[in-house]
Amino acid sequence: MISRRALLESSAALFATRLFGSPADSPSSRPSPELQNLADTALRQAKKLGATYADIRINRYRDQMVGVRLSKDLTTGKDLESPFVNNDDSFGFGVRVIADGSWGFAASPFVTREEIARIAGEAVTVARASAKLQARPVELAPVPAYQDRWQSPFTRNPFEVPLSEKLEVLRSAVHEIKKEPRVFTGSGMLMFHSEDKYFASSEGSSIQQLVIQTLGDISAHAVDRSKGLSKSRSHRPPALEAGYDYVAEMNFAENAPRIREEILEHLAAPPVQPGKKDLVLLPSHLCLTIHESLGHSTELDRALGYEANFAGTSFLTPDKLGKMRVGSDLVTVYGDRIHPQGLSTVGYDDDGVKATRFTIIDKGIFSHYQTIRDQAHLIGEKESRGCCYADSWASIPFQRIPNVWLAPGSDAVTPEDLIAGVDDGILIDGTGSWSIDQQRYNFQFGGDAFWEIKGGKKRGMVSRVAYQSRTPDFWQACDGISGPAYWVQYGLFNDGKGQPEQVNAMSHGSAPARFRQINVLLTD
Amino acid sequence: MLTREEAKKLSEKILSYSTFPECVVHVDAEEDAFVRFANNGLTTSGLVRQQQISVSSTKDRKTGNTGVNQIDDKSLRDAVARSEEMAAIALPNQEYVPALGPQQYMPLDRVDPATASARSPELIVHARNVIDGARSKQLVAAGFVQRAARASAVASKTGLFGYYASADSSLTATVRTSAGDGSGWASQPALHFGQMDSNAVARKAIDKCLASRGAKRIEPGKYTVVMEPAAVASLVEYMGFGISARAAEEGRSFLSKDGGGTRLGEKVFPEWITVRSDPSIASIPARPWGGDLVPAQPIAWVDAGVVKNLHYDRFWAMKKDRPPSPPAASIILDGQDHSLEDLIAATDRGLLITHFWYIRFVNPKTVQLTGLTRDGLLLIEKGKIVGPVMNLRFNESPVRLLQNAKMLGRPMRVSEDEVGDDVVMPPIQTTEFTFSSVSEAV
Repeated sequence: MISRRALLESSAALFATRLFGSPADSPSSRPSPELQNLADTALRQAKKLGATYADIRINRYRDQMVGVRLSKDLTTGKDLESPFVNNDDSFGFGVRVIADGSWGFAASPFVTREEIARIAGEAVTVARASAKLQARPVELAPVPAYQDRWQSPFTRNPFEVPLSEKLEVLRSAVHEIKKEPRVFTGSGMLMFHSEDKYFASSEGSSIQQLVIQTLGDISAHAVDRSKGLSKSRSHRPPALEAGYDYVAEMNFAENAPRIREEILEHLAAPPVQPGKKDLVLLPSHLCLTIHESLGHSTELDRALGYEANFAGTSFLTPDKLGKMRVGSDLVTVYGDRIHPQGLSTVGYDDDGVKATRFTIIDKGIFSHYQTIRDQAHLIGEKESRGCCYADSWASIPFQRIPNVWLAPGSDAVTPEDLIAGVDDGILIDGTGSWSIDQQRYNFQFGGDAFWEIKGGKKRGMVSRVAYQSRTPDFWQACDGISGPAYWVQYGLFNDGKGQPEQVNAMSHGSAPARFRQINVLLTD
Repeated sequence: MLTREEAKKLSEKILSYSTFPECVVHVDAEEDAFVRFANNGLTTSGLVRQQQISVSSTKDRKTGNTGVNQIDDKSLRDAVARSEEMAAIALPNQEYVPALGPQQYMPLDRVDPATASARSPELIVHARNVIDGARSKQLVAAGFVQRAARASAVASKTGLFGYYASADSSLTATVRTSAGDGSGWASQPALHFGQMDSNAVARKAIDKCLASRGAKRIEPGKYTVVMEPAAVASLVEYMGFGISARAAEEGRSFLSKDGGGTRLGEKVFPEWITVRSDPSIASIPARPWGGDLVPAQPIAWVDAGVVKNLHYDRFWAMKKDRPPSPPAASIILDGQDHSLEDLIAATDRGLLITHFWYIRFVNPKTVQLTGLTRDGLLLIEKGKIVGPVMNLRFNESPVRLLQNAKMLGRPMRVSEDEVGDDVVMPPIQTTEFTFSSVSEAV
């Protein structure tokens, strides 16, 4: 058994452990003086070399993944158990400067005063070279100077929980799934991410934060070789900013037998009859539709062309701000970095801007972009909405999606009410295939499981379902959203954007919602 | 850049801390310089140095894995100790395979010193060429120029050691009209930064942008298409999972036979389709080993239309009592001696596809994918490009794409953001490619 002390001290850098301290050891609301001293080296050096602005992020990441897969051996008929345990630590810093009106960035894993000074110099060199080809000088929206410490809520730090306990939770679930011999594979995974992040800027901010995120799922896979079919069914509880205490709430024990049954139903389910149908979408599914269609289309950097070479631009150009109807009157959507346990929830963003909440769509009308300090002024705004972050100390902070969530409907509306109003439709749970064009108009989504709705009643499963729509058409077809009691936020861990590409996490909450006459396809 | 000797010394030091019978160490070091531009100006540029040490310790079929990025003695010693502590609590792996002994890896070092050391001033030259080209036509450029210098080593207690270093660079550029009614894209990978021809990339992106203005709507449906190499690569790469022997035998692959068995030895594609891995091709930064450390070597997966080999990982190979396959990397689709223009000229009515965007599985078993055309979709009539059409969403499988291929061009290395850096593909003319809806996106 790994002792608590061993877990704390066996990370890649004892230095990092000392720098960041553990939350329990450091109740102070002030950042670590040692971090501040290191940061001063970068800020002083950048200023000495002529930078008009500088910030440094000194970050430590800890990631743990624990998995168990149980697969049928077709030769012997026995099940083969294959576990996986992995820990990754990463520690380093990145310095960002403005010199001659241009950004420069450099990063290194060697957190020493000498290297910090050297890298600050590299960042200034990069900025000066870039200035020769700048379109316009960088202009930062003002921000107050903060000295603060913030951490996401958790009771039990997952990195202090013995691996054996995690493996047992998973093992128990996958063996439960595999009790049915027609299930080919049962698998389960727990993933924990911890980010200690320190930010200091030449404008006087000094901010230390700790974010801990927890994710888990269990899956069943079945194959009908006589018909050439291969299907899966998963239980994916929302990924949250949470500690190990959340694993018990994932309730694998109760859900393992459910997905064991549902995978067999999915495998035998008849193919959907394609055509225009009403959809009732559960929060576990709608999270991804919100993300792709509304999360990305309302990013200001995309709308202004800064992502044109990779992630794309947006149909929501600045001339549509405050004017374009994107959804029905029922559709109000928030950008939010303060909602408890959202994966993008922080105290401050990587520009040092205090986290906030703002409307993105207000009763169907496009009302605000997601913004950061160096772009807010481009649409005449006076301050950033705090959407700047990076996926690593080695990455440049830029505009990323905050938690974006759909406001619930009235208290009185239940999911059953939504289903009762459908004559011919599909109920969709979980995420499957997803794809959307580079301006966020045309999309196609699959799901994890699909049930037919006929005459206002949920019927049996159907298979091979995907739907296609166009973002404004889809959201204007929304005619029902369940009440606050059914609102759940789901988290996404793999949102890619930028060059070099960065991968970040954020949450998207909603209550079950209904969409009329959407184009449903029959897939392979 | 981490040298072979430094990597050997470092990995031997790490292995000396091991107390388990099996320990495998990976050492990776990388330095990246990059320049990003948009709206005809530079936006974010940087210089980033990273390193990663990964340790896998195994005893009694139980394995623990750790990764760290600090290389002081204490951190490395702790990493090994921690992997052993994790292994001690882990479960026995019933798919365990013993550690590999010494291997002969191909010498694949491809390091051009000028590429490995290029910094912002050298990279900016190419950004400037694209921006100047776009400005001269009143267009707007965005793009990315980067170079990476990498070194990787692998070592084990059972005497295995491998090392390789590479330097690589690329330019991708998107040129749009200021009104947003036209968009063109082009790219170039270059193992030798000195061979980067940013003026040619700019010309291609500009020409596509101008040609794509005023796109007309056409009905979705089945079309003959001519795909440029980047488009082909982003679809064919998805076939990789399907050539797994285990997936095929377990009924989870397009190479599974209904009722059991695989399609190994069957002629699944026309005879002009050959798909192979070949790390010896000098134009790509190939890796000498795969995920389970089996040496890379040339192998044909599909030879003249016949499924010639399936990929056996070490566990599946042991179970089936046969040698494991080399990694399914450095994928090459052989071509024919035709130019892209020849393929267009041979098309009576069809669409020219520049590249795709946001491709995802719809059905992994059949390799049905969905995604969209982007940055230049042009209508071909009677062998000539007659004008732009609006982008289309496809729902199609690369298996059917290759089955319906009628004509191939000369293969080339591809640089596409969502494709690996070691892929060589030709342009293709293929029939019956299924589009399911129209997109207004430009």
